[in-house]
This record gives sequence, structure tokens and C-alpha cells, in this order.
Amino acid sequence: MVTGRPAVEAQGLALGYGVEPALEGVDFEVAPGAALCVLGPNGGGKTTLFRGLLGELQPLAGRVRVAGRPAYLAQTERTRLDFPVCALDVALMGSLADGRWWRPPGRSQRRAALAALGRVGLEGQAGVRFGELSGGQRQRVLLARALTQDAAVLLLDEPFAGVDPASAERITAVFGELRAEGRTLLVSTHDVESARLFDLVLCLNRRQVAFGAPAQWLSREVLEATYGSDIVVLEGSGDTAVRAVTVQHHEH
Amino acid sequence: MVDPGALPSPLDLLELPLTRTALAELTLLAACGGLLGAFVVLRRLAFFAHAVGTATFPALVVADATGFSATLAALSAAAAYACGVERAGRSTRDPGDSATGLLLVAALGGGIVLASDVFESGAAVDRLLFGTAIGLSGADLALSGAAAALALAATILFGRTWAAVGFDPDAASALGLPVRRADVLLLGSVALAAVAALPAVGALLVSSLFVVPAAVARRFAGDVPSLLLGSVAIAVCLAVLGLYLSLWLDVPPGPAVAVLGAAGYGTCALLTGLRAPAVGT
Repeated sequence: MVTGRPAVEAQGLALGYGVEPALEGVDFEVAPGAALCVLGPNGGGKTTLFRGLLGELQPLAGRVRVAGRPAYLAQTERTRLDFPVCALDVALMGSLADGRWWRPPGRSQRRAALAALGRVGLEGQAGVRFGELSGGQRQRVLLARALTQDAAVLLLDEPFAGVDPASAERITAVFGELRAEGRTLLVSTHDVESARLFDLVLCLNRRQVAFGAPAQWLSREVLEATYGSDIVVLEGSGDTAVRAVTVQHHEH
Repeated sequence: MVDPGALPSPLDLLELPLTRTALAELTLLAACGGLLGAFVVLRRLAFFAHAVGTATFPALVVADATGFSATLAALSAAAAYACGVERAGRSTRDPGDSATGLLLVAALGGGIVLASDVFESGAAVDRLLFGTAIGLSGADLALSGAAAALALAATILFGRTWAAVGFDPDAASALGLPVRRADVLLLGSVALAAVAALPAVGALLVSSLFVVPAAVARRFAGDVPSLLLGSVAIAVCLAVLGLYLSLWLDVPPGPAVAVLGAAGYGTCALLTGLRAPAVGT
């Protein structure tokens, strides 16, 4: 792992949408090239943390620092499937982050967007309308948009949600390439088992429950404090490594 | 009764000073409406575009009766309405269809009451609601030209941002785009364009130039540039044909444009087999 000044750091961070914090007591730092998995239940503060790192929410307490403007892969529900844009148009939107949003895209930006589509395995679908792609392909196009930004830090909000196995495999491979390039990844997920593959894990449930190496912190106690009754432990106990899955409870 | 034998020559549109002015006015408004209308449709602001024109009606009645500047009165009413929608959109990301519907009813009813019972200026109501091709002035042309120039400049500078926000508002904000400034400019440009269209098209039929052409173009356009070009082309055709129809039928151009637009949209829908439009409204 690369050492030096952290790519992302938070100290005593509290974030919220009014005066009451939706997330508080957050202290962590991530070195350049490291990958952090953010675990937590729905409403636990994962997206709120990302909005704080993006500068969209000002800290209610504490401080946060990110190296440069991070690229952000949002959850896909809010994209418009009926919009008249092709995969290349969407990937090109990433070039708007260079601060010169009033300019039409140039050749270099088109090349970067096409290269990003190539990295996610969709160079052949560049001209296909976004709404006509499968769910996994759409997620890969949105990842290409983030890649076009050429950012040092990438925030990826549940990138594997609703994605087919082939797309998940491709996305995982791209994550490996990005880490090898020294880029820092912060990935939110519900998948406890995949969290073990990351350098670091940050467990949130409206406050920071744990932060550190997955092997040390993914214990039954930590997962129960993070997910409450939404966690099902399959094997292991105490502070030993456990296998667990999260379940979603719905009120009727 | 319309006499088909009295069908005017298309050249009349260019030969008569009155119709030349009306043609220039409607062409400028069509270019403006076509450009902004594409984003009105993409951003699902059709109800706003319709309401912002109607919101000016009571102010126009008061201005007409008191001798106050109709343009200033309409601009004030449209700006106030656009500001309200922008503030509502910031807090809820929803322009508020119910609130818009209530405003439409209140503006129309309030304007009629003011015109008939308070100022007793009922004769002017038709002109305020449906526009006229007679008596368009150089000032009207100048305002339409300014609105068209603003629409063109704003589309060139903010078109990518408007499209990015419409496609994925969360990501647009994360990209560092000036989302709020862009939204204010879009709503403000539509409000100014609606005010510019009032003399020729009327408060009630503003959306005939700001929604219908883009709604037709969206059934065929595969990308945003095609939508923009198609929307402007259809708007200009509607404006010219509508003015010709208004000369022939001796009706204001607003209703003629609106009827042609509705017929065009219906025909396109039938030709494309009533399939879902290419892009959303």
C-alpha cells in the first residue's frame, strides 16, 4: 500500500440535512491506492457520508478532506431510461467535471470517454441508447462516466446492486486496475462477504461502529451493532471471523 | 363562414407590412420556443411552461385597465412564479403539479373577475388570452429578439448541463456542475420567452410554441442535438403555417398555431403506432 498523506480523511465528522446529525462520530483515513468498504444498513449513513465527501453537505461538526474532486457512481434508480442519450453521451458527461462545462466536448474528451467504455467492456455499445442496455451494462456505463473524470478518489455507491454476474466480474476487474493505478476507492455495499476483499472496512449505523482491517473488525458483535436484526450470522462467533448475510426487513 | 375562394396568397405574408411584422415576430418566438421547448420537454417542465403564461393574465388585465406597462407587469408576474417554482424544486425536487394546477385556476378565474367586474375591460380578454397578429410593435419584436438571443446563448452554454441534470440530477451535482444557476436560467429564460410571446400568442396558448413542437420532435429524435434541431424546425413551420391559417380564417395566430400543433402531434402519434415517445415528457 502506498504511504503518505491520506487521500481521504475524516475527523470527528458529523453530517446531516438539518440541525440533527444523520451520521456522527466518524474518524477514518484512507491512503492513496487503498480500497475502503463502507458497510451499513439502509439509512445508516453511507450515502450521507459520500455526500459529505463530495462537499454537497457541510459538516455539522469535525472536518473532512479529499484529494481533489472525487468521481461519484450514484445508485442507478434516478437515471432516466427514456432520455435520448447513448452510452457514449453518458460517458462524456464525466468530462463536465473538468470545470469547463460550457464547452462542447473535444476530440480528447471523446477519446477518453471511448477508452472508459472500453475498460468496462462496452466499446461496441457506444452508440446504443442508455435505456436499451441491461441493468448491468447501464451500471458499467455509469462507471465509465466516473472513469472519464480521471479522479484520484472514486466514491461508488452500491455498484453491485442489481448487476448480473458478468457485469459484476467486469466491475471488480476494473476496481483492481484502478487500485493498481494508485487510485483510492470507497465502495458502499450490503455484501458483508465481499467486504473481506477490501483493505479497510468502515461500519456505519448513524455513527461509526468500527473502522480498520476487515479480518480484525468483521466480528459478530460489530456486525450486530451495525445491522441489528438485519444480520444473519451463518457461522463463527465472538471476535472471531464470521460469515454473515444482511436481510432487508419491510413493514407491511 | 370561410370562403375557400378567398384563400390568401402565401406571398401576402411578406407583402403586407402587418403580416411581415407578425411573421418576423412568430419566427423569432418559434426559434426561441423550439430551443427552450426541447429542454422543457426533457426536464418535464411542460406544465410550468403552460402555467407561467397563464400566471401573467391577472397582471395583464390590471396593466391594460390602468395603463401600466403590460410587459413589465407580465415580467413581474412570470418572474415571481418562476422564483416560486425554483424554490419549491430546490426543497422537494418537484415543481408541484397540484400547486401549479391551483395557480392556473386562480390566475384564470382572478383575471376574468378583474376584467369583467372590477375594470369592466371584458373586450380585451380575448386579445390577452389568445393574442393577435394586428398591432404588433417594434418593441414586441425587440423583446422577442432578446428572448431568442438569450435562448440561443443559454442553450450553447448550458445545454450540456441542462441535459446532464435532466438525465441524472445526483450525478450532475457531484460533477460540480452549476445546477442551481442552470435551473434558474432555464426557468427564467422560459418565463421571459413566455412574456415575449404574449402579444402574438396570448397568455393561454404560450405552450403551443414551447411544448408542442418539442413534444412532436421527441417522437423521432434519437439524441439531444436532433431533438433541438427538430423542435426548432417544427416550431418555425407551425408558426408560419399558423399565421397563414389565421389570415385565411381571420382568427388570432395563437389558436391557429395551437390547432395545427395538436393536429400534427396527433398525426405523428398515429403514424408511429401510438408507441411510447423516444424521450420522456
